[in-house]
Amino acid sequence: MERRTFITTALAGTACLALGVNYCSTDYISVNPKLDGKHRLLFSVLLPVFLDGALPDVPGLKRDAENRTLDAIEQTILLLPEDSQAELEQLLDLLEGRLGLLILTGSMTPLMMRNSVELIEMLQGWRTSYIEMMVTAYQGLRELVMASYYSDPDHWSRLHYAKPDFLEEIN
Amino acid sequence: MAIEDPIVTGLNSGWAHINAGQLTSNQTFEADVVIVGSGAGGGTAAEILTNAGLSVIIVEGGPLKSSKDFVMEERTAYPDLYQQAAGMKTTDKAIGIFQGRAVGGSTTINWTTSIRTPDPALAYWASKKSVVGLSTDELTPWFKKMEQRLNISEWTFDPNRNNAALKEGCEQLGWDYTVIKRNVKGCWNTGYCGMGCPVNAKQSMLVTTIPAALELGATLVSQAKVMKLEHHNDKIYALKAQALDSNMKPLPVEIVFKAKHYILAAGAIHTPTIMLRSKLPDPYEIIGKRTFLHPSLLSGAIFSDPINGHSGAPQSIYSDEFVWKNGADGELGYKLEVPPIHPILIASKTIGYGQSHAELMANFNQLQVTIALVRDGYHENSPGGEVKLTDHGSTLDYPLTDAFWRAARRAYASMAELQFAAGANKVLPISEGMPYLNSWSEAKKAIAEMDLAPLKTVVASAHVMGGCPLGEDPKMSMVNSYGESHYFDNLSVMDGSIFPTSLGANPQLSIYGITARNATRLAEKLTAS
Repeated sequence: MERRTFITTALAGTACLALGVNYCSTDYISVNPKLDGKHRLLFSVLLPVFLDGALPDVPGLKRDAENRTLDAIEQTILLLPEDSQAELEQLLDLLEGRLGLLILTGSMTPLMMRNSVELIEMLQGWRTSYIEMMVTAYQGLRELVMASYYSDPDHWSRLHYAKPDFLEEIN
Repeated sequence: MAIEDPIVTGLNSGWAHINAGQLTSNQTFEADVVIVGSGAGGGTAAEILTNAGLSVIIVEGGPLKSSKDFVMEERTAYPDLYQQAAGMKTTDKAIGIFQGRAVGGSTTINWTTSIRTPDPALAYWASKKSVVGLSTDELTPWFKKMEQRLNISEWTFDPNRNNAALKEGCEQLGWDYTVIKRNVKGCWNTGYCGMGCPVNAKQSMLVTTIPAALELGATLVSQAKVMKLEHHNDKIYALKAQALDSNMKPLPVEIVFKAKHYILAAGAIHTPTIMLRSKLPDPYEIIGKRTFLHPSLLSGAIFSDPINGHSGAPQSIYSDEFVWKNGADGELGYKLEVPPIHPILIASKTIGYGQSHAELMANFNQLQVTIALVRDGYHENSPGGEVKLTDHGSTLDYPLTDAFWRAARRAYASMAELQFAAGANKVLPISEGMPYLNSWSEAKKAIAEMDLAPLKTVVASAHVMGGCPLGEDPKMSMVNSYGESHYFDNLSVMDGSIFPTSLGANPQLSIYGITARNATRLAEKLTAS
């Protein structure tokens, strides 16, 4: 059966954790080492870029919002159909491996070691790429992050949006 | 006073509902008729057939959720009530598809817009698609019947500001517009139809025909994904389903259904999927082909005054100014409507990230959004998509053609012209590379030159149609004009998959009306035999 795979399977098994876990204090983002498989650290690097201007300015509130979003991302991934989940896992594994990073970003530097300008360059490179796979990677991550962030009522204050409260009033 | 949940009340009164996710061993059920799917087609058929005295089982893949679960939050509504948590996409991911997956199908989460099948669509089917007996005159009594049943009537309240902008733009430009008819009774005008009506005002299948069928003794089996029709010669002799847990993951429990007659009403992606998986005879290779979406473009506009597009009836005005302008099979037409504006929907169906996206979201309440639904399936360069099986289900491969992109460019221009005429300060076509446009003259030039491409241009769909077309000529149809299989005596199809083209209108009332006609005929046949 024909099924789109993110990149040739020969490359999928090359993951060597390249996010720079050893260099990173996990105090700021509540990364449970047991959850490495859930790509929490990877998303903790991408969130501040995707959500620049949307996250709260106050550091404590920002940290809470990021952690809530990381939780939501885990939940969202679980809801994906099997094929999409496998495809996303493949992308995330590539981004956590040096060879995958080289292919997708042209550099083996772990994402954790890149500054925001470099991360923006990476996203812009995918976004404007003529290679469908790159655009798909950008859009998949973007949609996952945006949907997960804006799913939480605690993140709606800048929108001045709230759901009606009549149900609470009458129940 | 708390809102009464009619489903909870009904279940307490003894309705026959089986949550397949709670079964621990394989089961077999029998009835006169088994209906696969509980949306607009399945729900309507269930009521008509039970009313005729037939025993009916309704098999639904999704869960049974009701107003107690409808908490007006996208984060619960999308996973609970939509296919793939509202994240379903075509094979190349260029089109996002919103389709219901719960008892009531898409009627549980649609925006209540109720439009009779347009006359040019029916005329085209009669002249080009060998459809008989479905003229406007012949269908009128069936539309009337279902409009009465579902309290479909013109929305008499003022449109919300999002819809009012569409109306004002049309008035300024002298364009056609119509006040929408809605299937609501005692609507609270809150704007949360897409997350399941919290006050049971929407007359979806969930609160109308399905409860009526259950009252008359029908059985509802939820969280049962139909895998296969078993067939031999010209008979279907069983239908096999797999139980799903509350996360919609398969359980090792098989449910077998046996009936005199089987109805597929699983929607225009899943009805063809079941047929393909069952390897039904298909000598002309029709199943799953010519699947249509009304692929839709979005145009944002920032107004000075509050739009608050989350509040109020989500759709109350539409414009058909451009739908049939070039004839049925000329250059593709498009219908103008507006969507409700809620955080996940807007955050994900816009473009960019970081500061620019945050700025757009900060203007949330000043944001008006117009959508153009492209009428696909008539023009020779608009063949639609194809449902194909995958390792774990199916995918809809829908290439966007040159004719579509030409329509998209015209649609962006129409939407921008309309939004400026309605008083927008700036307009943002939702496609990569487009800046905010500050005047109609600037927009006209920019849209004429804009890049349009799959994945770069945001395209969405909430209307899945076709893939199992009706008609009298087996070379171009799978079922006859009554929805009866050309190949099996005891198989009918009653959902949006039977449409030979898209409709150029939101599909629910077309499915209600045509199903009412076809299910009534089926009931007569089954009770006579």
